[in-house]
Amino acid sequence: MSPLLRLARLRKSFGERRLLDLDGFEIEAGHAYAVTGGNGSGKTTLLRILAGLESGEVEGLQFEGVPLACGETHREIVYVHQHPYLFHTSVARNIAYGLKARGLRAAASRRLVEDAIAWAGVDALRQLPPHKLSGGEKQRVALARAKVLRPRLYLLDEPTANLDGEGRRQTIELVQALAREGAGVVIACHDRELIELPDMRRFHLEGGKLVG
Amino acid sequence: MSLLDATGEAFRLLFGGDPELWGIVFISLKVALLGLAIATLPGVLAGYLLAMHRFPGRRALVVLTQSLLAFPTVVVGLVLYMLLSRQGPFGSLALLFTQNAMILGQAILAFPILVAYTLSAVQGADPRAHETAVSLGAGPLRAALTTLNETRFAVLAGVINGFGRAISEVGCALMIGGNIAGLTRNITTAIALETSKGEFAQGIALGAVLVVLALGTNVVMAILQGEGGMK
Repeated sequence: MSPLLRLARLRKSFGERRLLDLDGFEIEAGHAYAVTGGNGSGKTTLLRILAGLESGEVEGLQFEGVPLACGETHREIVYVHQHPYLFHTSVARNIAYGLKARGLRAAASRRLVEDAIAWAGVDALRQLPPHKLSGGEKQRVALARAKVLRPRLYLLDEPTANLDGEGRRQTIELVQALAREGAGVVIACHDRELIELPDMRRFHLEGGKLVG
Repeated sequence: MSLLDATGEAFRLLFGGDPELWGIVFISLKVALLGLAIATLPGVLAGYLLAMHRFPGRRALVVLTQSLLAFPTVVVGLVLYMLLSRQGPFGSLALLFTQNAMILGQAILAFPILVAYTLSAVQGADPRAHETAVSLGAGPLRAALTTLNETRFAVLAGVINGFGRAISEVGCALMIGGNIAGLTRNITTAIALETSKGEFAQGIALGAVLVVLALGTNVVMAILQGEGGMK
């Protein structure tokens, strides 16, 4: 079985400074990967390049065996920011956004949105605007908004950063559920609990290289 | 007529429903709103593109836009006059001294305001808004509309300010409208004419309308900016 995502080489520099110089790696479906490393080690940049939101010198990037150009977004890959941005509308409309963007009619998307709302446990928040939500609630809404699209690969930047207690526990459970449901999940994180989850595969970024 | 008598007469004209006075107000609103309607789409689009894309000459365009904000309206009127006069390149269109010429002039005056406000709004927007839209599958048009929607209060402030400039300018309207009664005489050109004749009553009445319009647009803008600040 071919991997979900394959990369032969990736380099990224900011001026004279080379941030990333990675040899090939692969991401398989149904697995979660923790990308660790110190602050400024390039974790977020790596995820953003894979999401097509940032450019880099990329060789041999393939998604499900099909070449993917650098800087090109893919409908099966969804990136979630460390502090997710929710549009200035209700939670329900935020979750429906991607479906609408992909041309699905409101009637057809209703069921999918309801499922995603139930999955993330945000039913009580459905009509609220984003500024009324806590950090943990925003993160769950962002995960639901990504999941409703049923992408094959999730790129999550520090999903538990700045969360504590219940919000963090719920977010970790949702992240685990995504991989269990067969998607690939790549997580940039510092959170030991997340990194040390059973079945979590680990990459460590050090000096611009992947270790482990 | 003393100033007091003129003010009393002005109130009589305003509240007595004087058809000439309200006809002038109608022409002003029609010309300003149509000019604004023509300028809004290209102005917002140009502002968005300048904010989102880097290309050679971009900096020069931004400086030009900012310069146009302070451009004297009478100079815009002069340039349009030369272009639309019988000897000008567009003389055959017979636009000079028509409402259409005034609409064109006010669209040109509102355009840089719309560009500048949109540019500033989109540049100041949270970059995650556009990235989130793109990552969720939005194409360039939907991502642009989403970003503009997220900055709608600041963009709308530009629209309102554009209206403010169009309704209150006198130089361009006078040059290319010609101040023809019942056709191209608007609030500002009528005030200039009546005052020059020593007829203050209509000027005061129209001035009051203009002040109310200016205050109204600023109140709306303050409310919108307050709404934006709530988010």
